[in-house]
Amino acid sequence: MTDISLKVNLGGLVMKNPVTVASGTFGYGIEYDHYFKVSELGAVTVKSLSLKPRPGNKPPRISETPAGLLNAIGLQNVGIEVYLKEKLPLLREKNCTIIANIYGFSPEEYAELAQRLEKEGGADAIEANLSCPNVHDAKASCGPALVAQSPESVAEYTRIIRSATSLPLYIKLSPNVADIREPALAAQEGGADAVALINTLLGMNIDVETRRPCLRNLVGGLSGPAIRPVAVKMVWDAARVLSIPVLGMGGISSPEDAIQFLLAGATAVAVGSATFRRPDAALQIVKGLHDYCARQGIDDIRQLIGALES
Amino acid sequence: MTHLLDCTVLSNAEVAPEHRRMILRGEAIARDTQPGQFCMLESNPGLIPFLRRPMSIERSEEDRFSVLYKIVGEGTRLLSKIQPGDTVNVQGPLGKGFPIQPGYERHILVGGGIGIAPLPGLAEALIRQNIATPEVLLAARSRDMLLCEEDFKSLGCSVLLTTDDGSAGMKAFAADALREMKPHEKTVVYVCGPMIMMATVHRLCMETGSLCLASLEAHMACGDSVCMGCVVETTFEEEFRRMVRVCHDGPVFDSRHINWNAGAPVS
Repeated sequence: MTDISLKVNLGGLVMKNPVTVASGTFGYGIEYDHYFKVSELGAVTVKSLSLKPRPGNKPPRISETPAGLLNAIGLQNVGIEVYLKEKLPLLREKNCTIIANIYGFSPEEYAELAQRLEKEGGADAIEANLSCPNVHDAKASCGPALVAQSPESVAEYTRIIRSATSLPLYIKLSPNVADIREPALAAQEGGADAVALINTLLGMNIDVETRRPCLRNLVGGLSGPAIRPVAVKMVWDAARVLSIPVLGMGGISSPEDAIQFLLAGATAVAVGSATFRRPDAALQIVKGLHDYCARQGIDDIRQLIGALES
Repeated sequence: MTHLLDCTVLSNAEVAPEHRRMILRGEAIARDTQPGQFCMLESNPGLIPFLRRPMSIERSEEDRFSVLYKIVGEGTRLLSKIQPGDTVNVQGPLGKGFPIQPGYERHILVGGGIGIAPLPGLAEALIRQNIATPEVLLAARSRDMLLCEEDFKSLGCSVLLTTDDGSAGMKAFAADALREMKPHEKTVVYVCGPMIMMATVHRLCMETGSLCLASLEAHMACGDSVCMGCVVETTFEEEFRRMVRVCHDGPVFDSRHINWNAGAPVS
């Protein structure tokens, strides 16, 4: 069965298969090339890049929870200069399709990042992270306010980033909202080529012996198989009202999990925390998708997108 | 070179109350391990616990390697149920181990509790490379928690014992016992144990002018450089070096580079 096509088009980016990795779970893409050929993935999504390097939050930054983990990394990253100079050449040498995740503290910073990445060939698509839960001081309020929690802000940010780049632009949204359709539609209205969802769910874990939060940042973002049903439902909600594609993610750890997202309406999927458990998890999912198609007599994976029977 | 390998468990026996030694057959990992490196063990095939467990590699020889662990939670409890003949998926060896330091007159290994885990392999390497037969200081809460005493003695190491309750050796904390050993400028101290113990050993070494190499512990998600979850704070000024990954930049650090006042990465 070599005539099965796994190829998809994610908002203008042609991917040879619908599997990428979630930003922040795969470093700058090249670290795991000794476990498997990372260019086998539909795309590699790099850790959030900011204009300046960031040291990130104080430790402890992670806490394990049932079927998942909380993190409060705080976007520790090398910054765009080091990325372009040191990481990018290796990714290009390996022939990877690159989705660059970006983080800024204003729409203009996002625009500058997108512009530089396009100008210097630093990405094949841009994923703007409007939804990191860990870069604000959680003590300040009941929870940080995210750009992705305000549809008006999502539309404004998207418009400004859109005007700075012609690369495929994805807007990464937060599940910490009442109705995911509102920010998703706002991203579409702002000119996004796709939406990426979901980022992590805000959560908290407490050590009852010390009575302290397990994370120094007090709260963090929950990921892993525990959040998968929430993510599938949000992809399903968003995909039904959008005309742009969805990059689905949240707790995918098996090929069957990935297929749930496709059936719910995702055009492509990202594998996140599962990589922590198995460094080659994303590649195994590519293989599993092929096997599933063979088993089901499907010759083009696009037949599965939004093919939920209900 | 790091490997992802299904390893056969050869034994998984109790070495002290709530402490086990697991010996695994995994040729590529055994062959490539340097003293002080660690591995990530999958504790169960299911989703709870979700993450692997980081473990120092105690020793490696021919086609096998061992880990020492203390049963502290669900992951290690599941590991303790594994029977000889079972298979465990292991990722390793990982991290940067102990840099072997020739040119020092004395080599002192200080292990606190389960922190002893990476030191037997280091003692063997120092002896094998004709660098020194190290002196060993073993610290534990009480007599029955002292690990590997006989292993070090059979290598020819002098072993000093210290316990919090005085049930074996000196009744003292590790740093106080180390002071009695009179380390000096030509001494290298290799230490692994609780953060508070390593911090006091570090301060003593700064007083005596000794080099202190500390093997740190941290909660880890990936264990191999990508998640940025296991960082500790350093004494470096530059922003991009203020946080270092225990899994990738360590687990062994020159103790002068660690900010010991920052609080423990493991709560």
